Amino acid sequence: MKHCNHIIRFIVVFIFIGIGFFAVRSYLVPDSFGIYGSYSYGFHRGDSDAEQASIPALYQESESCKECHEAVYRTWSNGGHAGVTCEACHGPWQAHNENTLDTVVKDTSVEGCMVCHVTLQARPAGFPQIDDFASHVKEQGEEVQQDMDCTFCHEPHEPK
Amino acid sequence: MNQDRRTFLKKSSLTLAGSGLYIALFPMISGASAKQQLYAYIVDTEKCIGCGKCAAACKKENKVPDGYYRTWVERYSIMKDGEVIVDSPKGAVDGFKPVKMEKGKIEKSFFVPKLCNHCASPNCVQVCPVGATYVTKEGFVLVDEKHCVGCSYCVQACPYGARYVDHFGSGVADKCTWCYHRVTKGLQPACVNICPSDARLFGRIDDPKSSVHSILKEKRLQILKPETGNNPMVFYVGLDKEVR
Repeated sequence: MKHCNHIIRFIVVFIFIGIGFFAVRSYLVPDSFGIYGSYSYGFHRGDSDAEQASIPALYQESESCKECHEAVYRTWSNGGHAGVTCEACHGPWQAHNENTLDTVVKDTSVEGCMVCHVTLQARPAGFPQIDDFASHVKEQGEEVQQDMDCTFCHEPHEPK
Repeated sequence: MNQDRRTFLKKSSLTLAGSGLYIALFPMISGASAKQQLYAYIVDTEKCIGCGKCAAACKKENKVPDGYYRTWVERYSIMKDGEVIVDSPKGAVDGFKPVKMEKGKIEKSFFVPKLCNHCASPNCVQVCPVGATYVTKEGFVLVDEKHCVGCSYCVQACPYGARYVDHFGSGVADKCTWCYHRVTKGLQPACVNICPSDARLFGRIDDPKSSVHSILKEKRLQILKPETGNNPMVFYVGLDKEVR
């Protein structure tokens, strides 16, 4: 038994190091760490899921516009642009809902339409496209007038 | 005495080898390989008209800082001589302009929308030293911005270039979340919601009513860079061999 002394000392030091390690670890590691998911890919701070899910959604679906704009909603949903959501041209619903009319984009410029309808070789062949505004107007046998834009002939909510 | 040392060495090396094997196999023992991916994303490149409304909507929805993109659209132009030109001006946020080139020089041209692939075995998650990026129980690959230290290992590890570190703003890694905040509210991701030509579809794999269910069953699908072994959950319809 005379050699036990240094073993006891070693054990005591080891216990203190162990307590120190776990004390520092519990301080540094967030509480919810590792409560969900597997070891290899899902190891994370569990609260992060709920935090990210709580971010408000800016864009809603076109159904949200129906409540106040029923007439134009009906026109749109039967027209050729029925696949283009309201928010694609008018911007996110949430901003409009909070700040009334002035935040709604009503871009009737030729450039606004040309984002989708300018002729590009990469677009699907059947998609309606025009080379440029002036030559398209001439092709239709019309004269280019001042302040003329696409909405002069085409109703954007049910284009023909 | 000699004999004692030999048995001691034998026993200790056996113990070491045993514990090493256990650590190596631990992910399999704990069932990490049985992870379930609940959602899939389909990109139909044949339907994409290249309007870039998706990229613009994503930027607004997720308040993506200038110069960074969580989703973008690439235009592939394949020349008659076999040269491939890829362009994506400002991530296609404002759409595309016609190519200024003599007519007939381009053999074939098409659009390829890109985004985070939300891989089933993602490299980016594996390299994170602090556990700040992870796969949720639904299969979304997310970044915990409060825990990320901004080391950019994940940015290097992603073979799809889907990640960025906003050095002038938050200073932490970020990327497409498949609009986790929208999907958990029952909405579609912003890019899917806005797409006018149904080129982007998203939904639950196991739900027969979801738009991706029938496509996953019927269509011939491809993934980007299968050789990297990330097992992406974004599937492409009509992907050409030139697409990287």
